[in-house]
Amino acid sequence: MSEAYLRFWGVRGSYAAPHETHLGVGGNTSCVELRAGNHLLVCDGGTGIISLGEELVEADQLHQMLVVFTHYHWDHICGLPFFQPAFSPDWRIEFFGPGDTAADIERRLSDQMKAPYFPVETETWMADISYVEPHDDGMRHGPFEIRHFNVHHPGVTYGYRVRIADKTVVYVSDNEVQFLKTSIAKRIHEFEEDEHELLERMVSEQRSAELAAIENVDILIHDAQYTPHDYSKKRGWGHSCYVDTVNLAIDAGVGCLYLYHHDPTYSDDQVAAIHRDCLQIIAERKSSMECHIAREGLKVNL
Amino acid sequence: MHNAKPTIVLVDDSAAMRTFFEQVALEADFELHAYASAEASLAFLDNNRPSLLVINVMMPNKDGYSLLKQLRANPLHQDTPTVMISSKDYAQDRVAAKELGVLEFVAKPISKKALRSLIEHYVDAGGGPRE
Repeated sequence: MSEAYLRFWGVRGSYAAPHETHLGVGGNTSCVELRAGNHLLVCDGGTGIISLGEELVEADQLHQMLVVFTHYHWDHICGLPFFQPAFSPDWRIEFFGPGDTAADIERRLSDQMKAPYFPVETETWMADISYVEPHDDGMRHGPFEIRHFNVHHPGVTYGYRVRIADKTVVYVSDNEVQFLKTSIAKRIHEFEEDEHELLERMVSEQRSAELAAIENVDILIHDAQYTPHDYSKKRGWGHSCYVDTVNLAIDAGVGCLYLYHHDPTYSDDQVAAIHRDCLQIIAERKSSMECHIAREGLKVNL
Repeated sequence: MHNAKPTIVLVDDSAAMRTFFEQVALEADFELHAYASAEASLAFLDNNRPSLLVINVMMPNKDGYSLLKQLRANPLHQDTPTVMISSKDYAQDRVAAKELGVLEFVAKPISKKALRSLIEHYVDAGGGPRE
């Protein structure tokens, strides 16, 4: 097979952060490209997809792609109105994301381009656009085998498991790890002693489900937005503390973790400090897992 | 369906939650039909209207919202009293549930005491939903 790789085009969560102090990591919001020969799979359409689109049009080599969305929060779709391939008749683009029908997906993506929010609507897209009818059997796009699963975030939100070039890449941009466990801990006073065993079973079930989704994958790209201090204030916002992310990845036997969905208020130095702390946790747990900061422009061969 | 014994349908992939409801059912004297998936529940729900329907939001394959939308399209379930439960204690999920005509959105965990109160509140002793 021709060269297969993934490349980060947007790694920030919540909103774009194009500040001088942030540009080492990157200021664009979520977008990851997976390429295998002439086949292109894109995860999310945050502002990072704008630069991806410019490069694709400039290169004029590929003319079709599948874009999968984890969900429709603004930071994951806001680059679409400026995505050049969508406006080109030379392109064929399929879209997929949460929704009961293909029409649902279309509506959710096109609403942001309706007046008064945008001057032109998706009817101005000149590409051959289609929306994949939802099903539970997974999808295939060229050599990519793709399955989606539910993750813990406001609304229906997906993670994606992609098999390519004998590697498994899992993309979980937004997820709040271990939420039920902390909910139980906060509300344990509501329960009688004889209910505690069932509560422990519920925590165990949720943990098992979290681990199963990412078990032994080669590469995990996962929400690691908050420091413990910030998470203590922002629990319930749908994002993870990096400590929970790295421990989850270790427990699941992940080969390589990319810390993703960086908080827009964190400078390059702050993200670097998070990374150092993750490496320390990995060392203390005697794990062989690799851990890197997802940075804009970083290309990873598969 | 209006039996002397209320019928409650629970759809939740959590075996622990289903056990929880079973224990409460024994004490509270209602008939429980518990299913581990949306797909499994449809065999019963396609033709039966319980006194109360309790649906978990996050489930593999068909989630709770999709299940409820499908049921609401069935004339039998347009007004079936429904409570959604979820570990996802997020405002967006509460709004989504409300838009589906849910009576209450309960964030897990739920104690037996709270579950008994919920059932008493929404199901009358005659077996039907409270008017």
